[in-house]
Amino acid sequence: MLRKKTFKINYGYVFITPFIIGFLLFGLYPVYHTLALSFTNTTMLTGKDDFVGLQNFIRLFSDNTFITAITNTWQLWLMNFIPQLGIAILMAVWFTNVRLRIKAVGVWRMLFYMPNLLMPAAIAALFFSLFSYYGPVNQVLVRTGIIPEAIDYIRNPTAMRSLVVFIQWWMWFGQTTIILMAAMSSISLSLYEAAVIDGARDWQMFRYVTLPLIKPVMAYILVTSLVGGMQMFDIPYLLTDGRGSPANSILTNMIMMYMRFRSNEGHIGAAAAIGVMVFIMTTIVALLINYLLRDKDAKVPAKEVRR
Amino acid sequence: MNPKLQLNLQRGLIYAFLVILLLITLIPVWMLLVNATRSTTQIQQGVGFLPSTHMVENYKILLSKGLDLPRGFLNSFTVAIITTIVTVYFSFLTAYGIIVYDFKGKKAFNNFILVLVMIPMQLSIIGYYHYMSLLGLTDTYLSLILPSIASALGVFFAKAYLDSVVIQDLIDAGRVDGASELGIFHKIMFPIAAPGAFTLAIFSFVGAWNNFFNAYILITTRDKYTLPMLIQTLRGDVYRHEYGAIYLGLAASIIPIIIIYFMFSKFIVSGISMGAVKE
Repeated sequence: MLRKKTFKINYGYVFITPFIIGFLLFGLYPVYHTLALSFTNTTMLTGKDDFVGLQNFIRLFSDNTFITAITNTWQLWLMNFIPQLGIAILMAVWFTNVRLRIKAVGVWRMLFYMPNLLMPAAIAALFFSLFSYYGPVNQVLVRTGIIPEAIDYIRNPTAMRSLVVFIQWWMWFGQTTIILMAAMSSISLSLYEAAVIDGARDWQMFRYVTLPLIKPVMAYILVTSLVGGMQMFDIPYLLTDGRGSPANSILTNMIMMYMRFRSNEGHIGAAAAIGVMVFIMTTIVALLINYLLRDKDAKVPAKEVRR
Repeated sequence: MNPKLQLNLQRGLIYAFLVILLLITLIPVWMLLVNATRSTTQIQQGVGFLPSTHMVENYKILLSKGLDLPRGFLNSFTVAIITTIVTVYFSFLTAYGIIVYDFKGKKAFNNFILVLVMIPMQLSIIGYYHYMSLLGLTDTYLSLILPSIASALGVFFAKAYLDSVVIQDLIDAGRVDGASELGIFHKIMFPIAAPGAFTLAIFSFVGAWNNFFNAYILITTRDKYTLPMLIQTLRGDVYRHEYGAIYLGLAASIIPIIIIYFMFSKFIVSGISMGAVKE
């Protein structure tokens, strides 16, 4: 009997083995390989792959374009995230408020979420057409006399930045609303009833009951949005010429990485170095936010919070 | 002011705000769909919100310029369907293993998956590309599909779902009947988890259908282009001033997703917060 027991397989390992193998081969190894490439001068055409130490990184940091790309990415993300979270909190509060009883909540949130599922490549091309010189936006604005003559949005850095921010906001505010609504409606009504008995007003209820209890979910939204934002590519890449034009105004980390990758001599080493730097930056910030916003004062057990 | 009036005023303002937001949400999409049916001349003459009759004409222009839309559809569909099956199967397999069995390192593995969700894996695409080229797998769909064996987000979701449906009694009953552990997973648990698997399938499908960046890096042969890659070529000079045709190409790539959404929005909306919020 004892002998049989030692031979018993633990099926837990059997079930998770495919994931672990898949992760090692197609998740972890590419990360290691990217890191290894970032120390070489590998190109696509010449077959060079000499070790060059930190040369790629030194070049990267002395290149103002990289600093621009990093700053742009952060700005484009923050400028869409803050209004996104603000409007989502507002709507989630309205939709879950028992006193307001907003009608057809399901329909509203379904429609607000729709842009999120649409192909970003098509969305970028759509907004490019809408805002082109002879496009519908200029047509309407000029005909109604709001602006005296057509504006060349595509060559205007401020207009293009605003447009990228708008599109990102447009695609994501519905999703954030739905997640916050789920978090808010999972709060027990008795907590609000107790607050009403204590004489709390709407704002106080939000500040002292809702906000602390949705903090873990807000941390989740913040981190996932940040990780996505730092990898922003499709919209800014396809909105203009694929180089972050005009005047590098919408050049993001990923666009710069892609440009290095597809440059004439296909400098894979330099592209890998960008990937490594952004990877490190994003991971550190994401884990830091997660640590700082971890559950200190909420009463939910820590295990549930991390979900 | 009397409280009733105040409440109604507040409601009115909220509805007004929601209507404006809804117009902002829908107008761009509506214009895309409508312009796909209008001729280039009509589009240039002015903005219109009613469909016209030039869809077939626009489609012929697209084909005449060499944009093989049906082929793009087929390619995208092939990649998306296989990616979906792989993601759903392996995600539920892994999640089931974590939930049903006790094993050493289970907690660490669980935390590891939570951390993985927060890590920007796409930034390792350069290494992935180079590695695939060493294996001779660049320009194949396999290179797009393989990583979905280990989808952290998929496991995260599957675990949240299985947590609420796995019933130990059924597993025990299956064992008494002599079913193997994998057999129990396939024949007993998977049917029970079907709604969750279906929800994850929708998300995987949409994600794979829309994925531009990975395909753009890894696929080079024009015949193998997926839809987002074909869409991107619409920006080229060949299509200059063929607005109707461009809008039609864009519309064609998002219409399947819109249809899927309106058919299954209940699954999708309930799936978004799954994992993020424990209800």
